[in-house]
Amino acid sequence: MIHDYLILSVILFCLGILGVITRRNVFTVFMSIELMLNAANLAFIVFSRVHESMDGHVLAMMVMAVAAAEAALALAVVILLHKHKGKLDTNVFSLLKG
Amino acid sequence: MFEYALSVMIFLPILAGLLLLLCPVSKGAARAIGFIISVVILFIGIEIFLGFSGKSGMEYVEHHSWIPSLGVNYALGIDGISLLVLVAATFLFPMVFSVFKTKTKGFYGNLLLAQGAMIGAIAATDLILFYVFWEIMLLPIFFMIGIYGGEKRLPATLKLTIYTIAGSLLMLAALIYVGTSYHEQFGKWSFNIADLSALSLGGGFAVLAFLMFMVAFAIKIPLFPFHTWLPDGYTEAPTSATFVLSAIMAKIGVYGVIRFVIPVFEIEFTRFAVLFSLLGVAGMMYCGLAAIAQKDMKRMLAFSSASHMGIIALGVFCLNVQALAGSLFQIIAHATSTGVLFLFVGLMEERLENRDIDSLGGIAYRAPVFATFFAIAMLASVGLPGTSGFIGEFLIILGAIKFSSFIGFLAGTTLVIGVCYMLWMFQRVFFEKSKESTDSFADLTTGEILTFVPVILLIIGMGIFPQSFLEKIEPTAQQHIAQISAVSQSQVADTTVQNPGHNNHKN
Amino acid sequence: MEHSANYLGLIPLLPLTGALVIGLLHMMTCTGKPLPEKLYSTLACIGPLLSFFMALVVFFHLRDMAPEDRFLSHIAFTWFAIGDLHVDMGFLADPLSALMLIFVSFIGSLIHIYSIGYMAGDENYGKFFAYLNLFLGSMLILVLGNGPVVMFVGWEGVGLCSYLLISFYTKDTDNVLAGNKAFIVNRIGDLGFVLGMSFLFWAIGSGGFDYLSLKENTHLLTPGIGFAVCLLLFVGACGKSAQIPLYVWLPDAMAGPTPVSALIHAATMVTAGVYMVARFSFIYAHVPAAGTIVAWVGILTALLSAIFGMFQKDIKKILAYSTVSQLGYMFAGVGLAAYSAGIFHVFTHAFFKALLFLGAGSVIYALHHQQDIWKMGGLKKKMPTTYATMLIGALALAGCPPFSGFFSKDEILFSALASGHPGIWFIGVTVAGMTAYYTFRMIFLVFHGKPRDQEAYDHAHEPPPVMTVPLIILAAGAAFAGVLNLPGIFGGHMSVSHWLAPSLVEHHPHASVWVELFAMLASIAAVVVGITIAYKKFSQGAEEPVFTGFAKFGYHKFYVDEIYNAVFVQPYKAIGSLISRIFEPNVTDIHVKLSTWIYKKCGKGFKVLQVGYVRVYAIYMVIGLSLMSFFLSQSIN
Repeated sequence: MIHDYLILSVILFCLGILGVITRRNVFTVFMSIELMLNAANLAFIVFSRVHESMDGHVLAMMVMAVAAAEAALALAVVILLHKHKGKLDTNVFSLLKG
Repeated sequence: MFEYALSVMIFLPILAGLLLLLCPVSKGAARAIGFIISVVILFIGIEIFLGFSGKSGMEYVEHHSWIPSLGVNYALGIDGISLLVLVAATFLFPMVFSVFKTKTKGFYGNLLLAQGAMIGAIAATDLILFYVFWEIMLLPIFFMIGIYGGEKRLPATLKLTIYTIAGSLLMLAALIYVGTSYHEQFGKWSFNIADLSALSLGGGFAVLAFLMFMVAFAIKIPLFPFHTWLPDGYTEAPTSATFVLSAIMAKIGVYGVIRFVIPVFEIEFTRFAVLFSLLGVAGMMYCGLAAIAQKDMKRMLAFSSASHMGIIALGVFCLNVQALAGSLFQIIAHATSTGVLFLFVGLMEERLENRDIDSLGGIAYRAPVFATFFAIAMLASVGLPGTSGFIGEFLIILGAIKFSSFIGFLAGTTLVIGVCYMLWMFQRVFFEKSKESTDSFADLTTGEILTFVPVILLIIGMGIFPQSFLEKIEPTAQQHIAQISAVSQSQVADTTVQNPGHNNHKN
Repeated sequence: MEHSANYLGLIPLLPLTGALVIGLLHMMTCTGKPLPEKLYSTLACIGPLLSFFMALVVFFHLRDMAPEDRFLSHIAFTWFAIGDLHVDMGFLADPLSALMLIFVSFIGSLIHIYSIGYMAGDENYGKFFAYLNLFLGSMLILVLGNGPVVMFVGWEGVGLCSYLLISFYTKDTDNVLAGNKAFIVNRIGDLGFVLGMSFLFWAIGSGGFDYLSLKENTHLLTPGIGFAVCLLLFVGACGKSAQIPLYVWLPDAMAGPTPVSALIHAATMVTAGVYMVARFSFIYAHVPAAGTIVAWVGILTALLSAIFGMFQKDIKKILAYSTVSQLGYMFAGVGLAAYSAGIFHVFTHAFFKALLFLGAGSVIYALHHQQDIWKMGGLKKKMPTTYATMLIGALALAGCPPFSGFFSKDEILFSALASGHPGIWFIGVTVAGMTAYYTFRMIFLVFHGKPRDQEAYDHAHEPPPVMTVPLIILAAGAAFAGVLNLPGIFGGHMSVSHWLAPSLVEHHPHASVWVELFAMLASIAAVVVGITIAYKKFSQGAEEPVFTGFAKFGYHKFYVDEIYNAVFVQPYKAIGSLISRIFEPNVTDIHVKLSTWIYKKCGKGFKVLQVGYVRVYAIYMVIGLSLMSFFLSQSIN
């Protein structure tokens, strides 16, 4: 039973990673990151159940709060990016190329 | 008060320098503060020199625990080896402040920092403490060249800094090796040089550590072929920084070899002495030859300085007391001659904004006092008897002959090589027809004359009465040489025991 | 102490103080209004005259002592002492240095007086006397020093003054170059001196590094080291005294004012090498082979420069080559262990050569700086005093009896024959003939015949008494100094040789009176032949010849200067620029260049990974994290 939840969480996490790596639209990448966060949340909740303590819940709430703050900031950044280049393709933003 | 004389000499300029950097002070006030501080240091330095008894031990000792768990101490002291280097570091700084008026506050602050760090490196008797000051010393130099230097200052600064730091890191590694070996042999931690000299090292690692130390010092001296940062560095640096580099910092390299390498690595030192003395001679000849082709006066002096440093280094590697004492004497003689020549070139640069030898000429007719002073410093740098340069060079050549006739002969050629480029330069800059570029050259002002007269007198005085300096050096030099020869003789004894037939063949 | 004499230190100190005072005065005032010349000349002459006076005191003091015990010494202070090395700033007056002392200070004083007239009106009047005083002080240190190191102080000091005075007219590049050449060539010699001193110290110097202690310890010297020491010291002597191969600087040194040529480059400084060999006679006597080399180098130099001297047209160059040639004789003398003969030749030569130079100076002064003998002629009537005195000088130089040069030169040639070196003797006699020829070529062209440059002739006049009186005094010396060392064959007592004997380690060759007579007649014959040829060719107003063949070769001094320039100077500069242009940036810096190159290459390699896309960095992160967690899980299990 527990295993199934954990496997679901891993699947979600891997989907998130795949999304970050393969998608080029900034929004999709952002959503994939959210997916990974939620996968982590799920894992927290599961372990909270296993250990019968509320610590996992607390952490999950915290991650949610952070994710919300992050979303607010990230969206602002995305808007700036769009203003700068007029596109939301991550390949356009390659200033770190050596 | 003199219990803490050395600490005062270290931290007074450092604190004053930091204050100057932090506080808003006008340019003139900064220079005045710097001058006063350096004069105070000078007086303490003279007091130490006069009070130094020369009985072959450390004097003015200060000892406080710093990092007890690693046996690192804040330990200071002065003996015959460091005395003259210390005198050079105290004597010459007031001149810089009094001669150069146009620098900014930051420059004077850095100059004070450099002085404090240098005195720290000279007075430290603990390897770690020495290393700390050794590294701090580089920082003000970095800023002085990087901010206030000539046109191509940035590459020169980078080269100098990276080069020296690379050397220092090698030294750090070797230093840790020495410390751990001490811990293994004696079961406690110590980096005090007196303790470390009891260490008996052997094997490949010791040779490696020795070479790492030597490379670090060789870069600073600079010993051929590690001198390549020098021409650019000296040329691009503002003249007062060049002066600090050549007159004092280079000497601390030589001093480091005598103070820290010889007592710890006696065996390795004797084994590699021939190699390093050849490097010294090769550097002397190589840089001397390169000097004659230079068109920029400062660059020529840079090569000349490197050439003389080769001779000074040679004196250290010759393993006899005459050459060692000659080197120590030459340290201050060279600081007063070549160092002062750099200052003179700086003055010329301030007046004419020109250092190109070929475009100058006839300065002697415009500025007889300047020309006379320049000539005296120049003659000291070529080692004319009656000036300070002769005593050192003569003792080094004498010692080198004892060490090996061949090396001694090569060392002797410095007499000829030095005179060639110096006279040719002097002819083109001071004699011949005066040119338009030098028409407006003004002679030294009274203030400048007053600044330089003590050094000129010192140059001549040291040539005529060198004994008052030598008698303070000698006991320590004797002790050092005795230590080396004791170790190398026991080595010889070992080999003779292994080959018992050896002696019989000779008889 | 019986032998200590405090005033010895004062002898060099007086002119040195004079130099300091005059130098400071001149330095401070030379850009503004110059001080009166009288002040400078008075200040300048005090020191040398007092030194001469004290030299006489030293002489009489020594004369009153027992011959084998004749020395005075004064240790001023310990100069430097390290380990076994102990060098005092000390002075020693023994018969040898007393003799040198007297004539150096005497001729020095005379030339100071002469210069008052010669340099009048020069803008650097004060500078000249400062240098001249400095020179005299250094020369006196050289002579009086009680050991090799103190001698070296004077040795380098006179070299410096020679440089300063040769390039005295600094506005002309050639003069400065001549000065540089003199200083650098002298320095090459000094290298030999320093190395010789060092070897000497390590061999026998630990018991004290002054002449008296060294002399006592000479027996410790091994022949090999002794030979090396002798040769190295002789290299030093070659530099200072202009012997092959280092003679090239002396003819160029004539660029300086004429009194300088007389004092430094004829009478005193250039003979320092001979003095040095005589001073170290105890070592040279130890290794006769080295002495033979010295003698041969000397006599060959004499021959070579006599050949050059025959073809020169500059009056001072002729005298310069004759100086080199006479120095060769002196070395032949001291090389063959006839030290007193060599030193006696130094003594007489100082008189007649200073006389000739000062006479030449008068001629040059009268003709407004004309030095070409082919533009002179007939000056006999205009300048009778100069003519008479120079004629005496020329006779002495040529070695005509009974003038001083005859006795001293003959003594050297006789010892060459008597000690079994007929080759040296033969060359010596030949050179004597050549010397007579070129000396009288000069005299005839300058003073006899008809004037070649009428305008200059009309303006010529006898110089003021301040210049002629020294000429007359020197002429008296040149004529009669030979009497001081009259050989037994003329009823004399060889007084100078006996006087010098305690300072020198000498063994007199014994030869029959007939050999002595034969040697004497041969050299007189050579001189007569030389003068006769010169008379025939030049006394009646010869015209300037165009040199061809060997004469051209000789006029150009066998192109030795050009060869030296091509073999030493140019390669030296070429190596210098090669190093600074090619080696320094490319070869020596290789380890720095290499490490930056490696850094750059590594950077280029890793650059491939830096693609700039965020997702690729994410892949790296994932890979890294997975690897990390993999290894962590491994280690936990």
